[in-house]
Amino acid sequence: MADRVYIDADVLILGGGTSGCIAAWEARQAGGDDLKIVIMEKAFIRHSGCLSAGMNALNMYINQGTPEDYVAYVRYDICGAPIREDIILSVALEVNDTVKLMESAGLPMKMKEDGRYLNRGKWNIEVNGSLLKPITASKAFDAGAEIYNRVYITELIIKDGSCVGAVGFGVRDGKFYICRGKVTLLCTGGAAGLWRPNNRRDAHHRIWYFPFNCGSAYAMCKRAGAEMTSFEMRLVPIRTKDTFSPTGTMSIGMGAPMVNALGEVFMEKDPYYVSWGGHTAPTPIRMLAFQRETLAHRGPIYLDTTKGDPAKVTGLKGQYLDMSPCIVLYWGCNDIDPSKEPIEIDGGDPYLVGAHAGMSGAWTKGITRETTVQRLYVSGDALGAAPSRFISGSWTCGRIAARHMVKALKENSYQFVDIEEGVCDTLEERTFGPLKRYQEKSAEGVWSDGTLMTGITHKDLESRMQKIMEEYCGGRTHWYFVNETYLDIARKHIKRMRQDQLQYLCVRDLHELQLAWDVINRLDVCQLVIEHMSFRKETRFPGYVNRTDYPEPDPEFDCFVNSVWEQETDEVRCFKVPYEQVVPGDRKKQSI
Amino acid sequence: MPPKVDPTKCDGCRGESEPLCEQVCPGNLMTLDKDTMKAIIRDKSDCWDCMTCTKACPRQAIQTVLQYQLAYFPGKLIPLVGTNSVTWTSIDCHGRVERFVMKTLVSGDDEDED
Repeated sequence: MADRVYIDADVLILGGGTSGCIAAWEARQAGGDDLKIVIMEKAFIRHSGCLSAGMNALNMYINQGTPEDYVAYVRYDICGAPIREDIILSVALEVNDTVKLMESAGLPMKMKEDGRYLNRGKWNIEVNGSLLKPITASKAFDAGAEIYNRVYITELIIKDGSCVGAVGFGVRDGKFYICRGKVTLLCTGGAAGLWRPNNRRDAHHRIWYFPFNCGSAYAMCKRAGAEMTSFEMRLVPIRTKDTFSPTGTMSIGMGAPMVNALGEVFMEKDPYYVSWGGHTAPTPIRMLAFQRETLAHRGPIYLDTTKGDPAKVTGLKGQYLDMSPCIVLYWGCNDIDPSKEPIEIDGGDPYLVGAHAGMSGAWTKGITRETTVQRLYVSGDALGAAPSRFISGSWTCGRIAARHMVKALKENSYQFVDIEEGVCDTLEERTFGPLKRYQEKSAEGVWSDGTLMTGITHKDLESRMQKIMEEYCGGRTHWYFVNETYLDIARKHIKRMRQDQLQYLCVRDLHELQLAWDVINRLDVCQLVIEHMSFRKETRFPGYVNRTDYPEPDPEFDCFVNSVWEQETDEVRCFKVPYEQVVPGDRKKQSI
Repeated sequence: MPPKVDPTKCDGCRGESEPLCEQVCPGNLMTLDKDTMKAIIRDKSDCWDCMTCTKACPRQAIQTVLQYQLAYFPGKLIPLVGTNSVTWTSIDCHGRVERFVMKTLVSGDDEDED
């Protein structure tokens, strides 16, 4: 048995990232000095997560128009598909206030001559965000939150339909952490690494999304029996070739258009793309156009920086240094000068995100951010059906979640719930399982290369999972195509891995135990993705998921696809949930 | 772009409970080699290239190097972290030098001094 650490919190925050840190701050404002706020963080809070490399823009800001106009824009950018307009609106109403708050925390804003923030396109503002994470974390310190670094949370504790805490292991100290929360906020990010990345071997983590976000929020919510939403609505990104750096800096920042090998600006030429808005068409449509141009043998495809605003090309390297410095080195090593030649782009491996141009996550009640499991809240990428919140919107969601948590805490007078010793023992055994198994199975024989005769590694499982998802669930090399036959094969293999193969997973140390849990969580997310994709028998987000057996949108599916996992049968039960339009207007048009 | 540690500069952050690069790495990848007492990366292929370790190193012993499958030798990108800014020096494969000073904080507090 490991040494145990017992932690009690009024507000328990799992994940000290973009929304978790600001949630702590807001909880303090709303809940007063006596509130005990705890953050559990798997890395080091000042430099962890998606913001660790920095970011050069905040992609949600109401520069113009109204919060309702932002909702209309988000809806349009997802091809008019159903989104939770109530949630997006609640964020849009206070995102500007949040940005002010972060400016006062030390974030350097770029200003225009008229004293307003320097905008990039309609809804974005530029910042010098290389220290975005330390600045974000400073709000958690200001709040006096108790922060535990290097603790990997493995499971929520559910009792009588309520979340009463969580358990995990110390990545450094190997202790077993048992946390009780009167209310719990789960915000541990989205999921990368389900599909095979474009770069192999020593560059396999040279991907766009943060590779250490493995969908633990989704997996833990699923296992807790929470209602999940939109796992068929993954994000398939177009990014710079090889480095997979963000492209908005060039496409929105300097108006660089996509061109094909013939130099054609196809978004402005093909009537279908033009009907969607041309150069600024919805994100999935731009991805679709990239796919079609390449499949028609008109690749490679570029962002033509030579056709953009020449005044802005000079600042390009500096902007990338604030966010994705490796591309500046890449350009230097490969003799690429973006002012003289276009920049090649590529389709990346798909991701599950809730706060970017994807909408997977937990379903929540109204605008409370409370899941269908009582006392369990989600924010950031873990919050489903509300895309395009990005960093500024995730900060804001943290605030909104925190206020609702504090309110519920007071109104319901929630108390700590006793967790039986037997429950703790079971969870501990499960948490340390792969580590313990290594010792047991070592006795059964070791090959001359040091690997176990009766065990498999986290890397083995990851490779197998990524191969299956790549080849049978619409990976990059399959041009994101799926049909029911492919999905059946994916379903069969992922089920077998989850039900039968995890018993052989063995790891040698605490670092590897973290990686083992990453793959356990990813496999649970794979299950959600496959069942959701299979249920949505239509193509609503072309470019993201191309169903060759149902290539058109079907009005019957103009709704959310939600699901609940049944523990007894290990089945994911999918069902339709109606969409409610809050902001009137044409769903396939922007309002401004 | 895995971090490479120069053993002639790295002193293992003696006096710290663990080296600063180990403290800050979001992927838990940096650690101390108990034999050499120098920092090493557990698995270079798992790095995301956020450069947090490179910026945090108090002895500038870490350089991030692109994987050869992606880029030619011998380009370099060196950040020098100041109180309210970071100065980047880019040296391309032909030795051409460019320098960029990027603001990191509005006011003079200690956010970037880990």
